[in-house]
Amino acid sequence: MSLISLNNLSKTYPLGSQKIAAVQGLTLEIQAGEFAVLAGPSGSGKTTVLNIVGALDTPTEGSVNVDGNDYSEMNPKELADFRLRRIGFIFQSYNLIPVLTAAENAEFTLMLQGMSTLKRRKIISGIFGELGIEGLEDRRPNDLSGGQQQRVAIARAIAPQPAVVLADEPTANLDSSTAEDLLQLMRRLNQEKGTTFLFSSHDPLVIAHAERVISLRDGRLESDIQQEAG
Amino acid sequence: METLTLAWRNVWRNRRRTLITIVAMSFSLMLVQAFHNLSFGVYAQMVDSGVRSGSGHIAIYRGDYVNSRDDRLFWNLKKMGVLEQRIAQLNGIKAVLPRLYLPGLAQSSRESRGIMLTGIDPVAENAINPLLKNINAPALIKTLDGRDALVGSRLLTELKLKIGNKFVVTTQGPEGQLVSELLRIRGVVKSGIREVDNSLVMVGRQRAAAMTGQPEAIHELAIILDNPDLEKKLIPLISELLPAGSDLKAVSWEQSMANLANAIKLDYASQKFIFLIIVLIVTIGVVNTLLMSVMERIREFGVILAIGATPGRLRATVMTEAFLLGSVSMLFGNILGALATWYLVEIGIDLRDFIPETMEFGGVVFNPVMRAAWDTAYMLQISLYVLLLSVVASLYPAAKAARIAPAVAMRHH
Repeated sequence: MSLISLNNLSKTYPLGSQKIAAVQGLTLEIQAGEFAVLAGPSGSGKTTVLNIVGALDTPTEGSVNVDGNDYSEMNPKELADFRLRRIGFIFQSYNLIPVLTAAENAEFTLMLQGMSTLKRRKIISGIFGELGIEGLEDRRPNDLSGGQQQRVAIARAIAPQPAVVLADEPTANLDSSTAEDLLQLMRRLNQEKGTTFLFSSHDPLVIAHAERVISLRDGRLESDIQQEAG
Repeated sequence: METLTLAWRNVWRNRRRTLITIVAMSFSLMLVQAFHNLSFGVYAQMVDSGVRSGSGHIAIYRGDYVNSRDDRLFWNLKKMGVLEQRIAQLNGIKAVLPRLYLPGLAQSSRESRGIMLTGIDPVAENAINPLLKNINAPALIKTLDGRDALVGSRLLTELKLKIGNKFVVTTQGPEGQLVSELLRIRGVVKSGIREVDNSLVMVGRQRAAAMTGQPEAIHELAIILDNPDLEKKLIPLISELLPAGSDLKAVSWEQSMANLANAIKLDYASQKFIFLIIVLIVTIGVVNTLLMSVMERIREFGVILAIGATPGRLRATVMTEAFLLGSVSMLFGNILGALATWYLVEIGIDLRDFIPETMEFGGVVFNPVMRAAWDTAYMLQISLYVLLLSVVASLYPAAKAARIAPAVAMRHH
């Protein structure tokens, strides 16, 4: 069974008296362990699809099934718990909590799960080592570079060992060298740990690193290509 | 890093705004505490003065005398056996003062004036009654049945008399007949209370009682307590000592000196209104601070919800921030309130340059040097009220934070 299954998915937004179709009739299957990107120009519907897969938004039509869970059968509390345990998020602007240190930001989801301080510190210490940001645990986001902040965001996303990590334009605010490093890091996590990554991006660098490129245009599937990741 | 730590750090994100809010809340709490304690002290001073010169913390009357002041409602102290002594033996009783009040007419050879003839026990009254503050009453009124009298200062002037002069007092006897007594002025009472200075004539209680036809007659047994707080506890105990079927009742000073009690209530009600306005301003301040803080973090709240926090968790965080804001304000407010109260207790506010020393309020002399008294129960109560108010004020901002849709919030700039 696919990890992510979108069946005839549509999403329309009201705009005044009109309705704007962000996604139209999208059917898609993503398997566990994939390193895929939703590509397309601005307004193609990739962030909308990512939000729906991440249970942050609901489709107007169609069904979503992630990790064996049909979202239409879940209430808001169950969806929040599902996001907490089974989905990792990486955002374009890192979105770390400024009053927390790097370690506290990374362990935030584990804290929300009710894990003990000792246990989560141990997990985060290991992840910081893997991501090459050991020694930065006590720094606040403002004291970190963009690349370092995004690594902390990755740590936060993978800490609860989610079924899938959803990354919305993760390299958009980074220089190409830092972006390259981060993509390699995520690819390594994908290969070594089997973590599934689904990106939304129009950055050629991200597209080049993906092993599957799902192109959207005007909310419709334009192409779905498997490729040799760069 | 739990909710409390996160909330504490959030509170200090905008240091200046938080400090302004804390200063406003602390200062308001200080104002309310200090002014309440000042009123508490002034009222206590007035009540103390009032009960000593008036009807005591607790008074025993016959029938409806407390309301009607019908001078026929006297009662015989001696017939009640050892009632006076038994009351005096109760814990917390400072003094038991038998008194008789007879309205009448004082006449000198040149003038006549309406008076209140008050029969007292000068030995018992001397240390208690503030009207006798600068007078050695037992030396002037030597016996309970003598003709020695103390008169109000204005009455003395109006009757055109001097100390040592004689004058005649006429009252109504038990059968409705007029009864007159010749008295000699031994001293002058200058209280500052118009009614007292205009009409008071004090004599030994048996001399006054003789005019009723019963030498042991009294209208009032005024009971002074060591501590006014004992009043509610002692009224039932004293009531139990009253002979069954005697028609005697023990009443509190609030009933027997309703004018004073009502004046205090009215004065405090206007203060409470001012306190309410202060508290309202504080509440608006807290709501404003928290709402601004929430609105600035819409995007962040969206992210927190996206990564799995429940709306309840966000609500709890905002409410914890308000709780911390309230707690810090409560702490500093109490320190400032205690310092202000300490100053007002020790130094007070001296109004002698602005008001006369003999200003009257609610039938007692108002001391122009106002001093506070510690009302720690109220200080604690108002502190907790401010804390509770902070949390209540956070309900709307907290609800607003919890209603955020994560996908929309993350697009917010």
